[in-house]
Amino acid sequence: MSISFKSLSHIYNKDMPYAHKALDNINLDIKEGSITAIIGETGSGKSTLVEHLNALLLPDEGSLEILDYNIVANQKQKFLKPLRKDVGLVFQFSEYQLFEETVIKDVIFGPLNFGFSQQEAINKSIEALKLVEIDEKYFNVSPLELSGGQKRRVAIAGILACDPKIIVLDEPTAGLDPAGSKQIIDLFVSLNKTLNKTIIIVSHDNEMVYNYCDDTVVLSHGKVVYHGSTLDLFSDQKLIEEFHLLLPQIVQFKNELTENGFKISKEARTIEDIVGEVIKQVKK
Amino acid sequence: MSLIELKDVYFSYNDDTKAIDGISFNIEQGSYTTIIGHNGSGKSTLAKLIAGLLPIKSGEILIDGLSVNEENISKIREKLGIVFQNPDNQFIGSTVKDDIAFGLENRLVKSEEMEKIILEYIDKVGLNKFMDYEPQNLSGGQKQRVAIAGILAMRPEIIIFDEATSMLDPKGKKEIKQLMADLAKDDTITIISITHDIEEVLQSDNCVVLNNGKLFMHAKPEEVFSHPEKLRDIDLDIPFIEKVKEEFKHRKIKLKSSDLKGLVKELCQYHSNH
Repeated sequence: MSISFKSLSHIYNKDMPYAHKALDNINLDIKEGSITAIIGETGSGKSTLVEHLNALLLPDEGSLEILDYNIVANQKQKFLKPLRKDVGLVFQFSEYQLFEETVIKDVIFGPLNFGFSQQEAINKSIEALKLVEIDEKYFNVSPLELSGGQKRRVAIAGILACDPKIIVLDEPTAGLDPAGSKQIIDLFVSLNKTLNKTIIIVSHDNEMVYNYCDDTVVLSHGKVVYHGSTLDLFSDQKLIEEFHLLLPQIVQFKNELTENGFKISKEARTIEDIVGEVIKQVKK
Repeated sequence: MSLIELKDVYFSYNDDTKAIDGISFNIEQGSYTTIIGHNGSGKSTLAKLIAGLLPIKSGEILIDGLSVNEENISKIREKLGIVFQNPDNQFIGSTVKDDIAFGLENRLVKSEEMEKIILEYIDKVGLNKFMDYEPQNLSGGQKQRVAIAGILAMRPEIIIFDEATSMLDPKGKKEIKQLMADLAKDDTITIISITHDIEEVLQSDNCVVLNNGKLFMHAKPEEVFSHPEKLRDIDLDIPFIEKVKEEFKHRKIKLKSSDLKGLVKELCQYHSNH
């Protein structure tokens, strides 16, 4: 099973003088069960692309097959609610969207809205808050009293409580401190590995993409210019130059070593991996 | 005399917890100081206290020998400018030019002189081509550059960057960090930058590390990063190069370089000596 964009285009201000084709004939299959990164310069269409995944935006041309749903341009969509339950979208700076008096009320809003019973919704919400490691003592506190990282995790819990199969995160670590970022990263890795959720991440953070995402999609001017293995992408000098990618420091380190005669395998993606390989060569 | 002196400064938002808990240190004129600490450590609060945006509870902050208090606030404000985190929340003018003019108009600068000042600083931040653009049509990095030009035009002695790069994309971050490094070369400008970007610390002269409202360290970046375990204890990261050195150290190879190229050279030498 996969998530299939088929010749999908999206045009903002269609039929207006300011019409702008934000997505241009996208053909893309994202593997279910993967962690896939969507990268590209500001304005390349990343957010527009992911907002199609739960039909916040509808295609102007082409279609999108996702789970058991098929969203076709210019057709009335009848299944938006179940689709939005199954595909959870965490926006950029999602903490700005917390609105309830208490943390638990905020999280429970989603599951109640999607028709879970009161008790089920409470259970789901508590489960979700535990997953994002928000301590019970904060459940009845105003979300405004939490730190930035905690707020964002509460916002993510609101999505997880609806039990989505696919989780889409738009710039999930932007603006967080390193500890806060690490918690979010550990969270989505474990959602993927233990609960087998499909994770799609829009990010500018190539370090994170390199370390944690199996596959990467590169968008440029509304078109898919690369889709494949993240490791392949960042080890291909031609692609890096063509897409103006900022190299993760780990890749810079690998390149510097290779240029100086060390042999580093493509699969080495952490400092420990690389240092391990170097040690074997210097201590021969 | 130091340009900025903090003497046993306390502040709390409510009575139970001290957001700033007895902090003293000095900042020299013309220096570039980064302030780091995990979320909630008091970084932004400290910046607001220095700028007089929050009233201190006890202790004293002196800028150029002037105590930061209600009485001196307008003189203090003439000396400093702040670049905030969100590039979208700091525009007034309908074009880049107008936006920079706003501050100058408030200072009653004559219009013929104003034109000259605006052009000078638009050039300094590299936005000549964008002079007549509407700010909302600029990228995040460009917006922050407009904000910086607006502040530079007021010729402040001190510029405070309050997480000014954290909402930008990598390109924008790089641009603004480069601009900050360039500004730091000017001895008349003192830079204070509150940041989560551990790599930015490497380009500053001094680093203030805060933890739970207390001063944890105040030292040169190399000194700060020579204790990675201490930083990890308070939830802070260390720069990539330091992580690499740490990993080699675990495996009994001590490396000294402060950049990747040098480090790999050291490894090559190690290779040929063993």
